[in-house]
Amino acid sequence: MSVIDKAPPAPARPAAPREPRITDEHGRRVRVWELALRYLLLLGVLALTVGPFLWQLSTSLKGPTEDIFSSPPRFLPADPTLHNYERVADTIPVWDYALNSLKVAAANVVTNCVGAALAGYALARLRYRGRTAATLVFILAMLVPVEGIIIAQFTTMRELGLNNTLIGVVLPGCVSALNVLLMRNAFLNLPYEIEEAAFVDGANVWQRFLRVAVPSVKGTLAVVAIFAFMGAWDDFLWPLIVLSDPSKFTLTIGLNYLHGTFANDERLVAAGTIIAVAPLIALFACLQRYFFRGVGEGAVKG
Amino acid sequence: MASSTVSRVRRQLPSSPWLFAAPGLLITGAFILYPFVSTLVNAFTDRRTLIPGEFVGLANFSELLHDDMFWIGLRNSTLYVLVVVPALVVLPLLLALLVQKNIPGITFFRSAFYTPVVASIVVVGLIWVWLLDERGLVNSVLEAIGVGRVGFLSDQWLLLLSAMAVTVWKGLGYYMIIYLAALANVPRELHEAAAVDGAGAVRRFLSVTVPAVRSTMVLVGALSSVAAFKVFSEVYLMAGPSGGPAGEDTTLVMLVQRTGTGLTGRVGYASAISVVVFVVTVALMLLVLRADRKDAS
Amino acid sequence: MPLSRRALAAAFAVCVALPLSACGSSGGGSADADASGKVEGDITFQTWNLRANFKDYFEGVIAGFEKKYPGTKVKWIDQPAEGYADKISADAAGGTLPDVVNVSPDLVAPLAKAGLALDLDKVAAKYKKEYLDGAWASHQVPGLQGTYAFPWYLNTGPLFYNKTLFKEAGLDPEQPPKTYDEVFDAALTMAEKTDGKVATLANVPTIEDFGRYGVPLMNKEGTAFAFNDTKGVELLTKYKELYDAKALDPQALTATPESSGKKFLTGAVAMNPGSALDLGNFKKQAPNLYKNIGITDQITSTGHVNMYVMGVMVNAQTKRTPAAVAFAHYVTDAEHQMSFAKKVAIFPSTAGSLDDPYFTKEDGTDETRVRVAAAKSLKNAVNYTPVLFSEQMKTALRNEVAKALQGKESPKEALDNAVEACDRLLRQQG
Repeated sequence: MSVIDKAPPAPARPAAPREPRITDEHGRRVRVWELALRYLLLLGVLALTVGPFLWQLSTSLKGPTEDIFSSPPRFLPADPTLHNYERVADTIPVWDYALNSLKVAAANVVTNCVGAALAGYALARLRYRGRTAATLVFILAMLVPVEGIIIAQFTTMRELGLNNTLIGVVLPGCVSALNVLLMRNAFLNLPYEIEEAAFVDGANVWQRFLRVAVPSVKGTLAVVAIFAFMGAWDDFLWPLIVLSDPSKFTLTIGLNYLHGTFANDERLVAAGTIIAVAPLIALFACLQRYFFRGVGEGAVKG
Repeated sequence: MASSTVSRVRRQLPSSPWLFAAPGLLITGAFILYPFVSTLVNAFTDRRTLIPGEFVGLANFSELLHDDMFWIGLRNSTLYVLVVVPALVVLPLLLALLVQKNIPGITFFRSAFYTPVVASIVVVGLIWVWLLDERGLVNSVLEAIGVGRVGFLSDQWLLLLSAMAVTVWKGLGYYMIIYLAALANVPRELHEAAAVDGAGAVRRFLSVTVPAVRSTMVLVGALSSVAAFKVFSEVYLMAGPSGGPAGEDTTLVMLVQRTGTGLTGRVGYASAISVVVFVVTVALMLLVLRADRKDAS
Repeated sequence: MPLSRRALAAAFAVCVALPLSACGSSGGGSADADASGKVEGDITFQTWNLRANFKDYFEGVIAGFEKKYPGTKVKWIDQPAEGYADKISADAAGGTLPDVVNVSPDLVAPLAKAGLALDLDKVAAKYKKEYLDGAWASHQVPGLQGTYAFPWYLNTGPLFYNKTLFKEAGLDPEQPPKTYDEVFDAALTMAEKTDGKVATLANVPTIEDFGRYGVPLMNKEGTAFAFNDTKGVELLTKYKELYDAKALDPQALTATPESSGKKFLTGAVAMNPGSALDLGNFKKQAPNLYKNIGITDQITSTGHVNMYVMGVMVNAQTKRTPAAVAFAHYVTDAEHQMSFAKKVAIFPSTAGSLDDPYFTKEDGTDETRVRVAAAKSLKNAVNYTPVLFSEQMKTALRNEVAKALQGKESPKEALDNAVEACDRLLRQQG
């Protein structure tokens, strides 16, 4: 695993000969043509994965006088402006919505990390009757087609009196089955020896969980955190159904106001999508170091 | 390793396992399984959105057999699994091999390849619909190089294929990371031995890499086939709510949404389709896991 | 993962043993509701995607109402465009529908059948004379007695066309087509001259198109659909011809109003229906195109143009019937509809409002010209979409029309199938 987390190795050591010494994961030198081919392929894939986002960004920066439907398309805005972003903020209370989204997403991150770690630990480490049934519950839950149960979920929420609250938005996804299973796999991959020492020292199950097990699966927790944040931030239909009061709306619902019958401007929609995507990319950029380690821990073993 | 220690580690206060699992089980039970059980029950009624239903036995299921749209949905969801799953098992592995070597800037590339995973599916849908439009970026390029314009969003099969491409595009980075982790565990001696034997890159890939990450491939296969069979957003956003020309691109979950939602939704009938989707995904999962066990032994 | 059969059985037993709530409200009666009491209390008013542009207007209306009726408080909530039907369904099923709700006729029908919409003929009949007859009738539901929403704003629009494209195809840009036959001829010429590169129409025929073409949509009793008659087949056959000649855009089978609008803006399509509102959009989004836009009347063979109607209904289960009815009327009365119409290009449904100089006097600008023409045509416009035509029926029709255009079915077969499917859905609505 360590290979992945390594920062790009400083390629040119002072003592190196003229050519930079690039080595592969086994410490062998990489031939120049192979390197060139690699970069060429990397750039190709880069264009494919990031290009579409840049195109959207470019549209959002185009001013009101620029024809965005011109053919052939112009990649760079002739006169870049942040005007569209200002207009988004003028049209809808975008900061309030973003704050609601942030609350929901943050709560979702906390509940998923805590709930999934606890349940994952129970499934992987604790021995008790019914463990298989408990695992089965989470697996079945992962297979349920959500589109079919949304109204039933709403009815349950209303019976609890939690419709039109941000808690109601968070609750159904606050310990997602996929995250529980990810955590379970991460704990399964931990050697028992790690906990053994603590056990010998007389630590009880909570202490072992908190002090030994959890710190060893930080990576998977980062994955769960990102998934939880993404899930809550991106969700549209569920918050729309649960919430009635516009002052509680999340960003994805709020941005939909830009898309409606009375206001229909491609530049605004583009600016809106960038506003929706940017925080996720920023969050990911911050957590990516842990993240790349974590996805491995949780998922390698089937 | 003294196995007695292991069992002592596992011995617990009787209540704590359930305490640990309780939050997760409660939430999953109350908000996923309980609503799903009402769906199961509804499948045997003629309930509509605003009209409580009556028990109709297997009527919904026998109606399914004669519903052309159901068969179209089943066909498309199955095709989705058949096309998307192999692509998502193989392409991310190749991509992982590409970004595996620690050459300068590789962290940037790895993160960048992950961006499509992070973006919401609605945003992704909006972006691709605009890109693949008849006058969109892709077609302008195709025309410039002399291929001519292609009706990605108007032809029944191209539409389905475009949606599949978007699914693969969005999933590449996700599975790439999983493979990357698995590849790190492949012992280098294996590669070296093969290299000494004079095996070329392709041979080494097939005889060393693939066997070493086989269990990961199974995992990716299982996860992606369940997701592919339940596909909704990509096709809905690209083909539109009515499912492309003449509804020929409708998937099963789209059909659930179309028949079951809205004020005139036939909740009972839609629930019956949901049950079919659920049964097939369970079967898919079992199939993949069984194939894995058979191969492994 | 090893799973014993016993564990499976146990899991299912647990699930099934859980008590099941038969959700869904059991249709409250609206018969006894009484609007004659004192207008007071807190009510909630829900609109459909109007906040972004008209926040000040609605806050003003609400302040005016609260001042007129001390002791009332109106809470305004606005829902975004997408998912409105889903939102209302969940609220209706869960019993959380707001007191006063912005609806369209097709949303009102199922709500009225479930007893969730207040019958205004019973509690607010005195207001009926304030509205245009056609508008008042648009929220009546076949098979039910009564009227279930106040009519609110109306909309209709002209047909826009791209003069440059007309010129390039050798058509006279100053003589746009006026009848269906002329549209079809122009479309075929356009396709031929541009080698199929420029289509004239971007959308497959919808139920409104059949209505405007003079096809009877339902039987007299409103119990079955009837658009598969010879006239309907004739229209669809014509569209098939256009589709084959690429005079109907090849992407029409998957088009949405938004995508066809975009096509018009990019010059891929020569004609597009729209409203006065779109003029502003054109100015903003495609300044180059704006100069070349021609405007002509909506095509119709019946002498009546199609109009869209918005309504405001009162929740039959509201605890504040007098206040809710009073507010629904207040929002839709002549004064407030008129001031709303001056904010945005919509038209009031109140009697006499369309005779206001605002809707009759031209001042030479395109906006006014479109407005005056639309207001004139609205006086005898028809809402062609049948009240009982659900989303599922729209999809069924659309898919059968597509099969006919693709040549998989003859136009006659396609329409027969569509009528059969819609009739079945109608029966299943209960």
